[in-house]
This record gives sequence, C-alpha cells and structure tokens, in this order.
Amino acid sequence: MEQKIENKNENKNSPIARRKFLRVLGTAVAGGSILAISGGLISRAKGSEVSHYWQIDPQKCTQCGRCETECVLQVSAVKCIHANKVCGYCDLCGGYYRSNVKELNTAAENLMCPTGAIQRKFVEDPYFEYSIDESLCNGCGKCVKGCSSFGNGSLYLQIKRDLCKDCNECAIATACPSNAITRVSLDKPYKLKDE
Amino acid sequence: MKNKIVLMCLFLLQLGQGVAQNRFPKPDFESGYKYPEIHYAVSHEDLLVIVDIFLLVLLMGIVSWAVIKKRTRKPIIWVSVISVAYFGFFRHGCVCSIGSIQNIALALVDSTYVLPLSVLLFFILPVLFAFLFGRVFCAGVCPFGALQELVHIKSYKLPRTLSIILGMIPWIYLIFALLYAITRTSFIICHFDPFVGFFRLGGDIGMILFGAVLLILALFVGRPFCRFMCPYGALLSLFSSVSIWKIRLTDKSCINCELCHNACPVDAIRPPYTNKVNESRERGVKRLLNYFVLLPLMILCGAFLMRLVSNELSRSNKDVRLYEMVMQHETNPGEVLSVELEAFYGQGGVINELAEKAEKVQSDYNFYATIAGILIGLVIGITLIELSVKRTRKLYEIDHAACVGCARCFSYCPQYKIGNESGNTSL
Repeated sequence: MEQKIENKNENKNSPIARRKFLRVLGTAVAGGSILAISGGLISRAKGSEVSHYWQIDPQKCTQCGRCETECVLQVSAVKCIHANKVCGYCDLCGGYYRSNVKELNTAAENLMCPTGAIQRKFVEDPYFEYSIDESLCNGCGKCVKGCSSFGNGSLYLQIKRDLCKDCNECAIATACPSNAITRVSLDKPYKLKDE
Repeated sequence: MKNKIVLMCLFLLQLGQGVAQNRFPKPDFESGYKYPEIHYAVSHEDLLVIVDIFLLVLLMGIVSWAVIKKRTRKPIIWVSVISVAYFGFFRHGCVCSIGSIQNIALALVDSTYVLPLSVLLFFILPVLFAFLFGRVFCAGVCPFGALQELVHIKSYKLPRTLSIILGMIPWIYLIFALLYAITRTSFIICHFDPFVGFFRLGGDIGMILFGAVLLILALFVGRPFCRFMCPYGALLSLFSSVSIWKIRLTDKSCINCELCHNACPVDAIRPPYTNKVNESRERGVKRLLNYFVLLPLMILCGAFLMRLVSNELSRSNKDVRLYEMVMQHETNPGEVLSVELEAFYGQGGVINELAEKAEKVQSDYNFYATIAGILIGLVIGITLIELSVKRTRKLYEIDHAACVGCARCFSYCPQYKIGNESGNTSL
C-alpha cells in the first residue's frame, strides 16, 4: 500500500518529492556558500598578530578630550603616558601647571591634571622628573595639550593594552576627529614616542 | 627670576605652537640620574585567541553530541555556564560571532581591510556547525543565548502571527548592519549590543537598561533576543533549516501529545494543523503563485524607498558629516570651530580630497542602500507569504530554522522516555 502511494507520488511529482528536492538543493547551496566564503576569505585572513590592538597615533592626536568620554569602559582605557627621554624635565611644566598660575606650588588650583594623576620628583636643580599615576588618570588629555603646546610633547595619550577590551569597533576610534586610532600588530603592541 | 624667564620663553613658544616638538633640550644631569625603565603591561592576547577558538569548537561539539546523539539537556546547561563565564564575563564578549558578520561583510567588499583569522573562524565555525547539526551555537555556546537560557523559567507562548512579524526584525537588522559595515560607517551590531554591558559590568546605560528589559522578558518568553533581534541567529536559521543531521525528538512514532510543543521556549515545534478552508490543490498553488507575482512589487518598492533615503542614511558616515561641516564652515566662517573642524584644518586637510571621499561614500550608499531595499522588500514579502500560506500537518513537527537546540523537549516526550528506559535508544 505504502509503496503504491509512493509510486503515485513520484509519478505526479508530488509535493513530498518536490520538497525533498528543494531541501537537497538548499543543502547544496548552503554547503556551497560556506565553501565559497571560507575559500574566498581564508587566503586573505591574517593571523591574529596582524592588526590587532587599537592604538593612538600620538602625531595625529589633537587632545580633543573624547578619549575620556567615548570609551566603553567607565574609566577610559586611554591613559596618559610619559616619555621620559623626550621630556625636558622643566620646573615650569606646561602639562603639570595651568598656563596662568601665579605660584609654582602643588595647590590644586595651580595644577593642570583634574585628578592629580601627574606626580613629580625633584631630581636636581632645575630638573624635575614627572610620572603618571595610572590609577588616577582618566585620559582627558588636558596635560597632553599643555605639554605639546608649551613643552616637548613628552606626555601623550595611549590606549593601555591591559585595560583595553579590544572591541570589534573601538568606540573612541569612531568618535576621534583626527582618525588617530588604528589597529596595530600584536608583536609591536604600543605606539610609543620614546622608541 | 628663572621662572620669569621660562615663562617668557613659554609665551614666545606659544606663538610658534605646533612647529617645534623638542623645545627644551635634553637635560644634562650632574647627579648621575638615570632614565626610569618603564614597561607597559601586555595581555597574552595571542594565547587567549587560540583558547577561544578551541573552546568554541569544543563546546559546539559537546552540544552537537548532546542534542543529536545523546538527546539530553544536562551538558547544555553546563556549556551555557561555561560560555557565560568564559566568553561573557572573562573575555567580555568581544569578538563575538554576531559582530563578526560585519567584519566578514567588510572584508568581502573591501580588499584592503585586514581580516584576522580568528574573526573568520568565529564567523564560519558556527555556520558550519549549523549546516551540519543545526543551531548548536545558539544552544549554549553563544554567551547571549546562554544567558537567556539560564534565566528562563517559564515559557509563555506568543501568538504565532506576532512572532512571525517580530521575526522580521533580525533580518532587517542584519541588512542594515551589512549596509553600515560595508560603507565603513559603523558596526551597529556592536554599538547596540544589549548584553555586553553586563559582561563588562558597566557601559552605556541605555543599552544596559535595554538588556535588563530583555533579560526580564527572557524569564517568561524564550530567548527574546535570539528570536526577535539577533542577526546572526537569522543567518544561522538559513543553514540549520537545510542541515545535514537534524534534531529528532524520538525514533518512535509521535503520539500527538503536545507535551514537546508546550515545553519549547522558542515555539519551534509546530502543532498539527488542518486547513479549514477546503481549497483544491490547483487553487492553492495558483494563490501561492499570485503571491510570488506580488513579491517583485514589494522588492521594487523597497529598493525605491531605500534609494530615496540613501543620502539621508549616508549622513551617519563620518566623512560625509565632516564634509558637510566643512562646507558649512566655508560658507559661514565666523563660527567657533568644532573639534572635528579643528582637527581637519589642524592636519592641513584638503577640501577637495574630502569631497571626493564623501562623494564616494554617498555613491556607495546609493548602490548598497538600493540592494538593501531589495532585500528588505524580499523579507517583508516572504513574511507576508508565510503568514497567509498554511500547511496541513498531521503530527508535531520541529521547525529546524527556529529550533535553537536547547534540548528542553527531550525529557517531555513520553515516547522518548519509553525508548530510553528499555535501553533501545538508537540513532
């Protein structure tokens, strides 16, 4: 009986056979497209060491202040980095003091950094060594602006690799007005100024 | 006194801003001062990427084994826990397969785009598994699916019409995501990610609220994100509907008890249905053909509408926006420079180059938005056809496109239990 029905169905090109045909066709198309996509892209795909981490190009950065606000983290993964070898070790540091200070002391109203993340240590007259307390830095870039407009530009903003979540699309990069943020390779993870 | 000199120097230097970088010479230290050695922390990303891929394959393998061969739910719960813990809270959900669609699309149209191998694998492996075993990735390997799976306590069914209409959203979302990705505008899937805020314990408050609403919904409605939002799920459903090995509830015959249907959180088990309108086969086929004649109309409509708004859409691109700002500034130069314009002029940007770039983006938008419109028309048309065509079913049937392989139904099937207890399970 069943055989009979089957035969009948086949003869009439019944919906069952047609559906089966469509299913096989669909499977073939799906399999083919997987092969096509992976075949087409695998030759172009690079190992993860190429173009991985987001980094700021310090030469392009305009210190607009968006690094502080646009990062998906509550406290931005962008921190100020200090290149000691570029620094002039000045007493009157454009990144440390505000531009219109009356007295060179560490009173908060004189300091550029809103969180007090820049610390300095007396080395010898008239030089001071500057360093950043990363746990306080919020990546606002105020000191960077001061340093690059009055000083040697030894302070600069950079994305910290240990903090960055390595988003598929960096939220700061899309907001960056100067397109300074691009991906770099894993083996050269930082774009530093003193190298 | 010294300070005053320095201050004066500074004023002079301020005039020549941006010209010199080494304004102050390197100090000659007399006290034998040495420059501090600073090392910046680096995470072991290269190793973690390998662990990611390994775990992805392993977990999908476990789920495939559990739903196809073993037909049990327990391993899937464990996989879900591992996935939420590792891919979610430890790796913070980036790069995920859902977002990788955009990288793949961009790599397909733009040969200069560098596609990391790990991203390609994150995209293609779940697709491959969907093609072989169904949506095992969705079952519990995807941290988003796993999170919703773990909080789900009771399945309330949505009306079928509503769920078909809401089911259009993932497709349209996918189309827009592709449009924005291949025009290098933004990755909207990553931007509007409702759960990543949980995994990172902080983020955009709007998206976290949205994620919270989805999670509360997920308590009572099976996987609202997967069914009505996830663009990758939509893509996988294409492959799982024609998959080679399919999930089967039982090897014995179905007794139409409806227990599996009640247990399914994503409404993937279709109940028996008898067509009450007694139309002849020829008429039914004719009706269907008529619908397919209407389909090109919908497609044309979609293409036309999307082409109309393509210039508006292109405004979300950074270059186009910048170009508009520059033009506005050129005609009305008195205003205060915005941050973007400051950067543009500060870097010596050439307006002609920018105009060329913006024009290119706009023509891209014209072209791709038209294609997007065609696809949107197709999606809406097919959904309407799906709503109006009813197929007669005698037994409960699994809709393999919708089934996410959560394996809740197995323990409900009385036929499966009988087979299992007497020890003659077979594949």
